[in-house]
Amino acid sequence: MSLYQLQKLIFDVNRNAERREEYRKDAAAFAARYDLTQEEKEAVSRLDIRALYQRGVHSLLLRPFTLLHGVSNEDYAKALAGLE
Amino acid sequence: MSIVFACAASHAPGMTAWPEAAPKEQADRFLANYRKLGAMLAATKPDALVAITVEHWANFFLNQMPTFCIGRADHYIGPVEEWLRIPKTRVPGDSQLGADLLDACLDGGFDPTFSDELLFDHATMLPLHFLNPNMAVAVVPVIINTLTNPMPSARRCLAFGELLGKTLEQTEKRVAVIATGGLSHWPGEAKHGKINIPFDNKFLDTLIAGDRRVLAEYSHEKINAEAGSGGHEIRTWITLAGALPNWKAELLGYEPVAPWATGCGLVTFRR
Repeated sequence: MSLYQLQKLIFDVNRNAERREEYRKDAAAFAARYDLTQEEKEAVSRLDIRALYQRGVHSLLLRPFTLLHGVSNEDYAKALAGLE
Repeated sequence: MSIVFACAASHAPGMTAWPEAAPKEQADRFLANYRKLGAMLAATKPDALVAITVEHWANFFLNQMPTFCIGRADHYIGPVEEWLRIPKTRVPGDSQLGADLLDACLDGGFDPTFSDELLFDHATMLPLHFLNPNMAVAVVPVIINTLTNPMPSARRCLAFGELLGKTLEQTEKRVAVIATGGLSHWPGEAKHGKINIPFDNKFLDTLIAGDRRVLAEYSHEKINAEAGSGGHEIRTWITLAGALPNWKAELLGYEPVAPWATGCGLVTFRR
């Protein structure tokens, strides 16, 4: 598990327009640049909100990241349902 | 001169990004009071505005996360959020006052990080939008880590505030001081939308009573459990309380605004 690398990827995509473009072109190739486990790579590539949250990605990294993907408040809440 | 104005205010992004989502009367009342604070600030004709604030991964990441950071730039750019409905602006900075504050800290037992280039996110831009609408007053950001563990204790924030207050009271400038953050909220979490009204009321009562002994005892665990990950931002209010011994706080507004997912407070201080 490499939560630091996972959060770094998300921080880079959120905050850096160039990185964001690279991520949008090929999420899997972009994720390969970070030291992630196979599960983490898949969670990022598939935008598995629940898995990312459960792995401990900070909510204020995760929510902006999902906003970049156009995830609505309702869908975001649905992805986290039952984790309160 | 000295501190000529002080207030504390919440900064829920919905206040500007989706005000229409809130019940109209509630939103209008809260935002009218926010603007009123801006008029009160302007009436004191400050030369500089010290913003005791936080950030949400705008500048700092886990590779280097300052506990306290003082801005020393001659300008700042914000907001980083394109969706905030606040135009991207160049905010003037008071680099001299930032440098003076930093020196006073190093002389007085604190060793904050400093930065000559900072972006502002909604934490700073939203209060400035209401309190410094024309960005006429130069700003010094004092950023406290309330984002990720470990965070400074309430006791340490009070002491930090004391030192800031003492220094600002001795400057030749007329200084407005604002604190921004909180109150209870759980942004982006599974509990997003929850507001702990009893916690917020108790905190506001304590602040208004000026009870520093009780403020110092707000533990990380208590805040986390009762006010949520966003509630940690009350450290900015506690810091401001430390800066203003013998000032009297007064509640201007409190609204638990469900669509903004935040207990929203406005407090003024006077001598």
